[in-house]
Amino acid sequence: MIEALRKKAEELLRSKTVDVVYGYGEGSVPERTRPVFITKPEDVNKLTWNKYCVYNLTTYLKKQEARKLGKPAIVVKGCDAKTITVLIKESQIKREDIYIIGVTCTGIGEPPATKCKACDVNTPLIYDELIGEKIENKEFSFDERYAELDEYEKLSEKEKWDFWQKQFAKCIKCYACSSICPLCFCDRCIVDKNQPQWIDPSAHPRGNLSWNVTRAYHLAGRCINCEECQRVCPADIPLNLLNKKLAKETEKNFKYRSGYNVDDELAMATYKEDDSEDIFK
Amino acid sequence: MGNKKIGVFVCHCGTNISATVDVEKVAEETKKNNPGVSYTTTYKYMCSDPGQKLLRDKIKEEGLDGVVVAACSPKMHEHTFRNAAIKTGLNPYHVEISNIREQCSWVHPEIPVGTEKSTDLVRMMTEKVRKDKSLNAIKVPVTKRALVIGGGIAGIQAALDIADGGHEVIMVEREASIGGHMAQLSETFPTLDCSQCIMTPKMVEAAQNDNITMHTWSEIESVDGYIGNFTVKIRKKARSVDLDLCTGCSSCWQVCPCSKIKSEFDMGLGNRTAIYIPFPQAIPSKPVIDRENCILFKDARKKNIKPNDSKVCRKCIDACPIAPVKAIDYNQEDEIIEVKVGAIIVATGYKELEDGLYGEYGGGKYEDVITGLQFERLASASGPTEGVIKRPSDGKEPEIVVFIQCVGSRDPAKGCSYCSKTCCMYTAKHTMLYKHKVHHGHAFVFYIDIRCAGKGYEEFSQRAIEEEGATYLRGRVSRVYKKGEKLVVLGADTLTGSVVEIEADMVVLASAMKAQDDAMEIAQKLSIQYDKDKFLSEIHPKLKPVESSSAGIFLAGTCQGPKDIPETVAQAGAAASKVLALLSSDELEREPVVARVDRQLPPVFSTCIGCFYCQKVCPYSAIESEDIKARDGSVIKTVARVNEGLCQGCGLCAATCRSKSIELDGFNDEQIYAEINAVEFN
Repeated sequence: MIEALRKKAEELLRSKTVDVVYGYGEGSVPERTRPVFITKPEDVNKLTWNKYCVYNLTTYLKKQEARKLGKPAIVVKGCDAKTITVLIKESQIKREDIYIIGVTCTGIGEPPATKCKACDVNTPLIYDELIGEKIENKEFSFDERYAELDEYEKLSEKEKWDFWQKQFAKCIKCYACSSICPLCFCDRCIVDKNQPQWIDPSAHPRGNLSWNVTRAYHLAGRCINCEECQRVCPADIPLNLLNKKLAKETEKNFKYRSGYNVDDELAMATYKEDDSEDIFK
Repeated sequence: MGNKKIGVFVCHCGTNISATVDVEKVAEETKKNNPGVSYTTTYKYMCSDPGQKLLRDKIKEEGLDGVVVAACSPKMHEHTFRNAAIKTGLNPYHVEISNIREQCSWVHPEIPVGTEKSTDLVRMMTEKVRKDKSLNAIKVPVTKRALVIGGGIAGIQAALDIADGGHEVIMVEREASIGGHMAQLSETFPTLDCSQCIMTPKMVEAAQNDNITMHTWSEIESVDGYIGNFTVKIRKKARSVDLDLCTGCSSCWQVCPCSKIKSEFDMGLGNRTAIYIPFPQAIPSKPVIDRENCILFKDARKKNIKPNDSKVCRKCIDACPIAPVKAIDYNQEDEIIEVKVGAIIVATGYKELEDGLYGEYGGGKYEDVITGLQFERLASASGPTEGVIKRPSDGKEPEIVVFIQCVGSRDPAKGCSYCSKTCCMYTAKHTMLYKHKVHHGHAFVFYIDIRCAGKGYEEFSQRAIEEEGATYLRGRVSRVYKKGEKLVVLGADTLTGSVVEIEADMVVLASAMKAQDDAMEIAQKLSIQYDKDKFLSEIHPKLKPVESSSAGIFLAGTCQGPKDIPETVAQAGAAASKVLALLSSDELEREPVVARVDRQLPPVFSTCIGCFYCQKVCPYSAIESEDIKARDGSVIKTVARVNEGLCQGCGLCAATCRSKSIELDGFNDEQIYAEINAVEFN
């Protein structure tokens, strides 16, 4: 698989189909990988692929530094590829401006990440070139897909509130969650707006609540649950729990799953006469 | 801006407010606790002339540069108080209304609660006023031309009125001729003058008016733009006849072999040819080819060839005397034209309830059960029987006719909970027309109520009963069934409490007036609202009865709801007067409450990231995209931009924008934030 990946990257660079390949490279220890940006065909051997390739490289599509390198080819797993679908729908990238190298994946991380448990995109849904044997994507029921919420949903309203108060108290406002998120692509985040200052920037409980709730809300109907925010959080706040819950509510109420179909109408920007009104409480 | 001198005027509204709000205390507390509020007072009726004078005088005397009027809903009097401020030279957008009536005194019966809440509401508004900025009305140029959609009596009347006012009108009618339903009617109530006799002169007048351009056999393709500046695409459907060449000599339709097509104009009671004019007085009096039914077009479709290459039948083109180029062109295609107009009148009319909907009355099943409009055609001198009342099945003169009122109307089970308003009158008229033509005949009418409110209407229906001898039975009909040649009508007479069985020769159903099948489509094309019955909605049922929910688009006639001819004509005139008022100025002033996408000086050009969620949620198509370019012309980024002319200031975009890059003038983030912060949490 690695060889096929390197060969494809070399071919793309040589033919000048793309200017740069975003991929995974070996890290300082075997259990780690790091993002690499290959611009010369002779460097393709830096590319690798293994079960430690957890990062969602699509987040670099929003970074000016990476964009300056020119037209990219990007190595994506099935979950990461969903991000590209959203980015296309939200006018952040044009399909023709990106070359997608999809890799088939049967689970990532050691032990495997939560998101891999009910993975229905072992083979990416969108790609230009597929590396690895094509895997028939599995189907999971609604309940199976959101099984990780089972414990949380058993909590009473009060318990939920206390739980989040405790979690958010840990927040140090480092904004790593937003930096890593491929869909947090605003040049100026609402937290940076200071006239008026909607969100208190200090690591005070009030500002912490505003920030974390706003971040989750801004991803409602958009988040593809790559879990990167949760992975990078130095305070170990289970951020994806919020994201996942919102994804569940979005699917339940609007029959919409983010990142699955580029032609679906955006749940949060579309009004339909038969929209569920159960969300108003 | 923080050092504004703010004046607060608390209105008693008679006792509407002062009964449950201690207005003096509100004024006192406001003065005491709000630094910057330099003047407070109360007044019995702020909206009265002396009340407004008080406001004007105090603005000048006290040198106020911000005003809060604590009174009724801003919907009622914001305009009044802002206008008063203008007269003193103060920018009207420094005047805010604190609604202490609808949102306080009317809902809180206890004085302490009402007073405390009012004080809070006033404080919130004083904080907003502190952040208010001067805004200037937006000026938009006006295209001095109107579009009228629909060529029935409403459309024609509106077009004539606008044309007489000196402005160009473009009229679009989807049928081959203008005239609409009124042209189908025989006589009209309450005067029994012939409909055609009063309608056709208007049609001719419209056709000959230099200011009116008519597009028949045409439909609205799309509508873009905004008040004063609409761009409308019109689909001119292929007529297969060149209107410039054709003289309407009738040679073609006289030779057409497809003569057994049900005439839509005669409501299926008569036949027409495939190349036809809908009725003798049609305007334009030039034919159209019905491509569905013409054998030449059928053949061409089957063989998948161009119509002109088919040789099955060319009788009409051969008969056409126009030379050297024939007026008939089989290969004609739809044409789309674009027009620019400043105002639009929608007059798309109604349709009659489908007769098949009432199976129990035999509608659509028995030939001799006909609808109101079909009866009009039977009674019309230009109709299929030339005005002689003959029943459709065997052409016999019907001696007993039963008229059933409220067929569909007032029947939620059939989807029309409303009253169709015209049926009581036209049924009375039908009984008269029938009795005038069949002297020995007998007319029975089943009714729920007789609703004849209108000038001369009650007298008219009484005349039907007393002078013309129609038998009115108060009750519903349960069933109509066939017995030999007769139709047995089984009904109830609730006044005598008896069951009535009438053996009739013909049954006439006073079918409901319904919205056109495609009323929703036209509403969506125009971005205007419609009601539960798909009739187009006026914006205010009492005070703005001809204005639609989109500025610059007006409603006339039955597209807005059932109504009779006098009412339709009056409404068309009203709509036309609104259009004339709009077209009388070169520029329009609009409320400057519009959204604005953040723009800054280089190097940060805009915080907008161009996700275009705003564009997707905007109900008025007011969001456009714009490229921000570097000096060398390369695109730095594509961002959203608000078209001020289209924006109605609803604020959906501002609420949707994640990076808060859109703000609504007059309701910007700082203003709203100041209001929220002014709420004291206890």
